[in-house]
Amino acid sequence: MSSWRALLLRVGDKCPEYGGSVDYKDHIVGISERWYSGSALLRLDTVLGQILCRVFHLVAINSSFPVIAATHYLCYKNFVCDRWPIPLESCYSVLSEEMKHVTVRSQNLITLKMKYRVLLTWISWILLQLLLQCAEQLPHKIPFYSVLVGLINLENEDFGKDVVDAIHSKLQDALLSENCDKIRISLRFLTALDLPGSISSVIEVFETLLSSALLTIDEEAGNLSWQPCADFYVTCILSSLPWGGTELIEQVPEEFDRVIVQIQSYLLVRKRSYDNSFTAFETDGDKSVTEKDFLEDLWDRIQALSSNGWKVDSVPRPHLSFEEQLVTGKSYSLPHISCPKQSATSQSTISREKDNYEVKLKYPQRLRRLHIFPSSKTELKDSQNQNDVSVKATNIDSRKECASYMASLPVSFRYEYLMAETIFSQLMFLPQPPFRPIYYTLVIIDLCKALPGAFPAVVAGAVRALFDRIADLDMECRTRLILWFSHHLGNRLTEEWWHEDFWREGGGAKLLVKERMVKGLTIWEMEDQQPVEFRKVMDVMDVGSNFQYFWPWEEWAHVKDLPRWAPQRVFVQEVLEREVRLSYWDKIKQSIENAPALEELLPPKSGPNFKYNSEDDQGYALSRELRIMIRGRKTAREISPWVEENIIKVHGPKFALEVVIQTLLDIGSKSFTHLITVLERYGQVITKLCAAQDMQVLLIDEVSSYWKNSTQMTAIAIDRMMGYRLICNLAIISWVFSLPNIEQFHVSDRPWEVLRNTINKTYNRIADLRKEIQTLEKGVSIAEETASKALKEFEAADARLEVVDGQPVQAEKPGRLKRLKGYAEKAKEEEVSVRESLEAKEALFARALEENKILFVSLYKSFTNVLMERLPPVSDNGDLPKLRPEKIDAMSVDLEEPPSMEVDHDNGQKDESENNGERVTHSYDIKEQDQWCLCTLGYLKAISRQYATEIWPHIETLEAEIFSEDTHPLIKKAVLSGLCRKMVEL
Amino acid sequence: MASLFKDLAKLSAYRDRRFHGNQEEYERALQASTTVYVGNMSFYSTEEQVYELFSRAGEIKKIIMGLDKNTKTPCGFSFVLYYSREDAEDAVKYISGTMLDDRLIRVDFDWGFEEGRQWGRGRSGGQVRDEYRTDYDPGRGGYGKMVQRELEAQRELVDYGTDALGAFQPAGPYGRHGGEHGHGGSYRHGRDHRKRYRDDDRSTSERVSSYESRKTTDQEQRPEKNPRFRESGDSDEEDDDRRRRR
Repeated sequence: MSSWRALLLRVGDKCPEYGGSVDYKDHIVGISERWYSGSALLRLDTVLGQILCRVFHLVAINSSFPVIAATHYLCYKNFVCDRWPIPLESCYSVLSEEMKHVTVRSQNLITLKMKYRVLLTWISWILLQLLLQCAEQLPHKIPFYSVLVGLINLENEDFGKDVVDAIHSKLQDALLSENCDKIRISLRFLTALDLPGSISSVIEVFETLLSSALLTIDEEAGNLSWQPCADFYVTCILSSLPWGGTELIEQVPEEFDRVIVQIQSYLLVRKRSYDNSFTAFETDGDKSVTEKDFLEDLWDRIQALSSNGWKVDSVPRPHLSFEEQLVTGKSYSLPHISCPKQSATSQSTISREKDNYEVKLKYPQRLRRLHIFPSSKTELKDSQNQNDVSVKATNIDSRKECASYMASLPVSFRYEYLMAETIFSQLMFLPQPPFRPIYYTLVIIDLCKALPGAFPAVVAGAVRALFDRIADLDMECRTRLILWFSHHLGNRLTEEWWHEDFWREGGGAKLLVKERMVKGLTIWEMEDQQPVEFRKVMDVMDVGSNFQYFWPWEEWAHVKDLPRWAPQRVFVQEVLEREVRLSYWDKIKQSIENAPALEELLPPKSGPNFKYNSEDDQGYALSRELRIMIRGRKTAREISPWVEENIIKVHGPKFALEVVIQTLLDIGSKSFTHLITVLERYGQVITKLCAAQDMQVLLIDEVSSYWKNSTQMTAIAIDRMMGYRLICNLAIISWVFSLPNIEQFHVSDRPWEVLRNTINKTYNRIADLRKEIQTLEKGVSIAEETASKALKEFEAADARLEVVDGQPVQAEKPGRLKRLKGYAEKAKEEEVSVRESLEAKEALFARALEENKILFVSLYKSFTNVLMERLPPVSDNGDLPKLRPEKIDAMSVDLEEPPSMEVDHDNGQKDESENNGERVTHSYDIKEQDQWCLCTLGYLKAISRQYATEIWPHIETLEAEIFSEDTHPLIKKAVLSGLCRKMVEL
Repeated sequence: MASLFKDLAKLSAYRDRRFHGNQEEYERALQASTTVYVGNMSFYSTEEQVYELFSRAGEIKKIIMGLDKNTKTPCGFSFVLYYSREDAEDAVKYISGTMLDDRLIRVDFDWGFEEGRQWGRGRSGGQVRDEYRTDYDPGRGGYGKMVQRELEAQRELVDYGTDALGAFQPAGPYGRHGGEHGHGGSYRHGRDHRKRYRDDDRSTSERVSSYESRKTTDQEQRPEKNPRFRESGDSDEEDDDRRRRR
């Protein structure tokens, strides 16, 4: 027999709605019956069960006070820590009060029943909490929980009221704290509730939300920036209808119609919202004008549903079996709900847009799916399940549970596709995924283990689908995909896979899979073409629990023949690069032995590139001498003058920089730790050499040349140097936008990685300062309070007079007064000193913000400059240049040979007349310069989006200093869409 | 969230006995720490690999590789220091249990790095767990140190062809031999021992014992000599000194 908890968690599993054969009615009746039987109480929870057992036992035999106290303590220990607001005290006092009157032998049903009552209240509270938790975290089972509430309410009349109150307070809290998921789920629970009379409360809540939404989009009284919030309210109402629509129509048809009419009028008034900045796939064209947006789409689905009698397969309707019983219950209505007040419309356009941006972040649109699978695999009758799955993944941050839970999700269809799509949609979610991207590696690996038969293949399918569309994928998403995929590949168990026994055991079917995967046939292609074999394969693969997949690289071998800048080729190259970093070169080389063509894409076998290797090299002797000095424990203070004397004076500062940096890097080349030790010890020498920014750029050049074979070490070294403030972020930006790097923009992640690190580090510094300031502010208010209290105490004592000989005299003893005065003064001093340190931090913060502004100005300037030089001009009639080719029928196209990259350094124009004469087999026909532009614009958008909150405060400066009328519209478009602003406003 | 499924016992049961303080202080240290301990690593894993993996959970301040106190080579653990607590928490949540160099690594909160903690605490210089292991783990120097010693002893007594390996039993009697080999110069040859054993494995690979077949596959899949492994000879006195100073 399982515990209450397990019963509640499992309710409805395997019921016919989900393709099982278990009657959920049994579940529900089972739970509600257990509710009344004593045994149920004992099984509610192991710990609680034990305690109750003892209580009952003690009551039965002659109990004594200390034991009760011990029980109380136990309960306290176990539950108080877990937020236990039940009036334990009263529970306890009732119990002990009874104890006094119960005689040993006269224990009988009556006393037991009384105790039972007390405990019942107690337990219903526990059950209530558990139910609410279940509803929140297993939202697809809400219909079951609401029936349960209805049934328990029949017996225990307060229960329904408690539930309604609890949902009310949850909903109210969620509305005020703007917690989207909670608002949605509370509303759904409320709609699905099977308490008589709850329906009218539901209508009332709907109307409250609707009127708030309507007010928001009202031209005069409202605040249009808040439309995302209004949209969200309406979405919530619409998506809760499938859970209770039938009842609403049956019981309150007029009110329901009124709600529908209000929704319709809302849809008429509102403006369509298109969220280009947060979509993972980009296209040149502006299709959005004709397309319906997410809310209209949902509205269509709901209307289709209503004409269908509100029947949705994925929403079970367990209450139908209990309808007769349920109507007899007592009814409760919900207290009034209030929506948060929105701020008034801001005056300036910019601050209005800023508001709008913030609201968009708070109330993200749902339905942002990637659509990476054939629609037949993921199409649903409604969007509910997708939402559920995503809620699940969002809610469960303990990964193991997430995976095992998702693997056992009770739905009637093959949902691996949906699950994979949801996970990938989250991983690609913009601007930020709900969790750190590395979390998804784990979820996917765990799911592969939990569903070894199907999931790895589905993941492989997702990777292929994303790979096919990689050219349209947002740059930020590409980076996330590369990081995830390289990590994912490192988590396979290739040795098991290749182990001969494994294949022999599995027999033909496994070999078949291997063959299929090698051929690159997707599993669903197999499913469609050879269903029988497919089943066989699935069954066998379930047996081999160690099954992980290896990647059939040969299926991507063709990218070698693509031009260097083709996004697919760059993707493969960057995945290999990351794989090498996580593992080592030889091993990755081995992993692609089926596709030797790809070896060309492997990063160089890493190793430093020291300049002075033979005595003929200029600088060899100096470098050796320097090395000996460092070995000889010479300090930075001793080395600086030596450099000055022996190198700078003779060969000039640039050469000195070269020798010093090459030598120091070489000494620190063995490992990350060696590097930071050298930098810590001899950073001063470097600082002396590169005070000026242009010297710092040279320094970075030197680092890049020493570590030309290792992008990772280049990035780490630059990052550390910035960390020790040997170089400033502006120098790094200027280096990233130097010509050799610009030429890499579309063929490598190397410059972008350095740029990302730099902005991120700057951002982290600001974030740290913000945190420190917050802590200090708290400290100040505490100190203020202490000081004013101490002062008051002193003043009160000081003012106390007494009349001696008709004269008012101080009543306090002078000693105490002095002491109190001392306290007050000390507290004041304390306050002043905390305040001072706060002020100091605030000054630092202001400076950091200023630096940040300069950083972004410089960044945007650099972007604009390089893009302006290379973007194709706007045509005379104002049409934007098309960088992406129109989709042409691949069969009929004779591919144009890609031009090689030749940059004419004098005028910054690229020579596109040369062809390299190589035919590409896969259709890819974007010219190098166009690809360069697409890529750079993509990063510009991605960076703007990622740091939008930091950029918004400086938006006016940026507009004034960087964007002029001559600025290319594509640049403006990238920045604006990154910042979530509308193009029209310019 | 997700309290329905969550295991509330977040901290691992491991208690570092070198920690000066009581259990409560220990837990408090773990709960505030920004340092994580990484265990079950391959001896061949490098700082750069650790950096690549762990920087995905947040900005890294420092990495300290655990070293064999005799050979001064990596011995399968490390400390990663983050700047922020959240990053350390993410590393524990999301990296623990994933693979690095084909091994499932363990990531736990650590109470904080102190000088001296980088050295292995085993009698032979490496980690204690590598003393008593009886399995063959190619990523961690083959058999456990005790088994290795016993193997060596047997090899001196018996001819190579005999069924030497089958006779091994874990732990117990090996303890006595510790002192003789303990410290000093003899273990600078640790790698040579390992290498010789591998060669021996090959010569006896036809044997059917389970040890043997495991090893054979390992032998074939692993490169003969891992190119990344830094020989103890690589690290000159300067480096050792620097590590100590850190």
